Amino acid sequence: MKRTLLAAALLAATALTAPAYAQSVLRLDEVAVGELDPAKASDYADSILMFNVYDTLVIPTQGGPGHDPHLATSWEVDGATYTFTLRDGVTFQSGNPLTAADVVYSIERMQALGQGLSYLFGGVTAEAVDDMTVSFTLDAPYAPFVASLVRLPIVDSVLVQENATADDEWGETFLSANGAGTGAYSVTSHNPQEETVMAKNDGYFLEINEAAPDQVRLRYGLEAATVRTLIAQGEHDISSQWLPPEVMQALANGGAQLLTESGTGGFYVKLNTTKPPLDDVNCRLAITNAFDYGTAIQMLAITDDVSGGSPSTGAIPVGMFGSNPPSDALARDMDAARAYLAECGTAPGDFNLEISWIAEVPLEERLALLMQANFAELGISSSIETLPWALFTERVASPENTPHISQIFVNAVTGDPDTLLYGMYHSSTPGTWQSPEYLNDPEVDAALDAGRQAATDEAREAAYSALNDRLMEIAPTIYGFDRQSVFAASDRVSVPALSDPAMAFGLDGMGFSFRLMEMTE
Amino acid sequence: MIRAFRILAANPLSLIGFILVVLIVFAAVFAPWIAPYPTHNGAVVDFLNNNRPPSAQNWMGTDLVGRDIFSRILYAYQISLGLGLVVLAIAPPVGTIVGLLAGYMGGWVETILMRLVDVFLSIPPLVLAIAMMGVLEPTLTNAMLAVTVMWWPWYARLVYSIARSEREEGYVLAAEVIGASSFHIAFREILPNCLPAILTKMTLDMGFVIIIASSLSFLGLGVQPPTPDLGSMVAEGARYLPDSWWLTVFPGLAILLVVFGFNLLGDGLREILGVDE
Repeated sequence: MKRTLLAAALLAATALTAPAYAQSVLRLDEVAVGELDPAKASDYADSILMFNVYDTLVIPTQGGPGHDPHLATSWEVDGATYTFTLRDGVTFQSGNPLTAADVVYSIERMQALGQGLSYLFGGVTAEAVDDMTVSFTLDAPYAPFVASLVRLPIVDSVLVQENATADDEWGETFLSANGAGTGAYSVTSHNPQEETVMAKNDGYFLEINEAAPDQVRLRYGLEAATVRTLIAQGEHDISSQWLPPEVMQALANGGAQLLTESGTGGFYVKLNTTKPPLDDVNCRLAITNAFDYGTAIQMLAITDDVSGGSPSTGAIPVGMFGSNPPSDALARDMDAARAYLAECGTAPGDFNLEISWIAEVPLEERLALLMQANFAELGISSSIETLPWALFTERVASPENTPHISQIFVNAVTGDPDTLLYGMYHSSTPGTWQSPEYLNDPEVDAALDAGRQAATDEAREAAYSALNDRLMEIAPTIYGFDRQSVFAASDRVSVPALSDPAMAFGLDGMGFSFRLMEMTE
Repeated sequence: MIRAFRILAANPLSLIGFILVVLIVFAAVFAPWIAPYPTHNGAVVDFLNNNRPPSAQNWMGTDLVGRDIFSRILYAYQISLGLGLVVLAIAPPVGTIVGLLAGYMGGWVETILMRLVDVFLSIPPLVLAIAMMGVLEPTLTNAMLAVTVMWWPWYARLVYSIARSEREEGYVLAAEVIGASSFHIAFREILPNCLPAILTKMTLDMGFVIIIASSLSFLGLGVQPPTPDLGSMVAEGARYLPDSWWLTVFPGLAILLVVFGFNLLGDGLREILGVDE
């Protein structure tokens, strides 16, 4: 009798632990902080969380331009009114059904909080026509409106309202620690400085690949040397894009695969246009011409075929509306630099520029040293300052505390140039991490507005082309290079969206949709 | 002097320490002439030759922007030794005066001064320095200031304990009897008896000051780029371990050598000057 009991107990124990063995786990890392509240999501880590825990009405078409229906099944455009029909039978992770009220609540919550990418939805009024139909009315024409919907994550309004209180009417406390989406992954635990653990959502409205990871551990703030060792030992799967090229190279030599994501962003060296001497356009042009673009490109090479970037041709990355052709690659021109410097109101010896770099991105330290050496050739002295990302985003909130020079990777958050350029250069959005230039130029504002309102692609092309010319003329930024994000990954995982151009999304961070990944072990 | 050298020579470890210190000081002072790439302490980049392992051209390899690590270490020694000298030129005299006053005068002077010293000693040194650097701009001068502020109480404590026991000695009583002033007794009678201990401690401390200063710059709070500093060189290189090991290992060894040298020399000095533990 005793023996049978023991056997039964053992069997029960095996039954309990067996599923744990079968669990496939995907481990990756990004820079802290991981912001889970979808209305506040702005950087890469936030986007990874958002695209997996939440869904949007549309998603970018894989391998091409345009958008496919996702939570919506179809939409109609009538002037400034967009009407979406929602997909039937979608439920949130809580079990609540998705309705038009959730969509309205989500956009209103974003507008009310006014953080993250809420500026995309400034003049939009949403209305639930019936349970499954929602309409958006724009108060001004906005050509890329459908594209911007990839940044409208739909939250579970019933669940959030249950957890909202009188002093926290939009449930910020709840959503900064919990997920409330329809997404393919649900949040198991979340510590914004350390780690977010997510689990596959079995009730997802689409079929999820059997091989997709059962559990995902997204860790924050790992050291490059740690990531390098963990991947080599098979204890980590995908690195962040911020590893220095040497480390990527070492990993690739050791058999790691390199994943890439490209086409929607650039590396921008931002000049604080309110701080002397950089308030003078000639002083700015002197240093933008002195920057050694060619050497910067050399620094980015990882292997013979993979590089962290390609030459920049202007303010807009190659391939987007208004961009210059690849043959117009920017190059160093010391004669021009000296000529502009002669026109600059400040003597080179009195410049004393503060060049900052983001502590989490070691590559930027080298770029800082490169600039320091480049500017020294003009007799311009400069100091280098390391700023952790969190401190940097605080400092840029006021023009006085913003360093002369900041180095930033910026992407079109919806894949459309409007979301790359508007946040950086429009005078209505100063002092974010994207806009440490504090640019205030009526011509730039007009071109940005024209790009939003233009009805046809040709008109948009013309508007952005004019914008590009103007931005080259007034040089608020050194347009360093067009960015290609590279990630080192173990061979335990296959990520078609980041390795096969036909499966790529054309939207930064979307390639990290865990449901489309496959664990090979 | 000859006796001193004989004791030093009789103790091979101290001799090694002495030789190391002499070599390092020589290398630092003559860095512009010894360094194979004397311009590499400034705003120079050479991306064609970056991240190279040790070779005949670059004995310790090159860093991530192509600067010769050996040359930069020589210049970094200048910074480290200079910082150590400044700190040890300020902290011991301040601490000695405080310690002498407290130890000889006694009474409320002793209470106030020594409690103040206790307050400083109760804060972990690195934490105090980090807090100071957090408030001040991270520059070389401020790094020196921060290290000095955390260093003087140790001398006050040392001199105080010696002065207190010397106060009861016959020669102090004799001086008091013939009517010597307090100032005379403290500085002319007691101080000379504290000097061997102070000198030994200074030699030993040179190594520790360099370590603390390197720790500060390791944390990004000391000398700012492009000025070479051993601590920040280690910090920068650490990201590229284990592949580009030369970025970290050589500056790390350089710190080890200088600290080791001063410690061995300090031990030898202790023997020569007859200072008890």
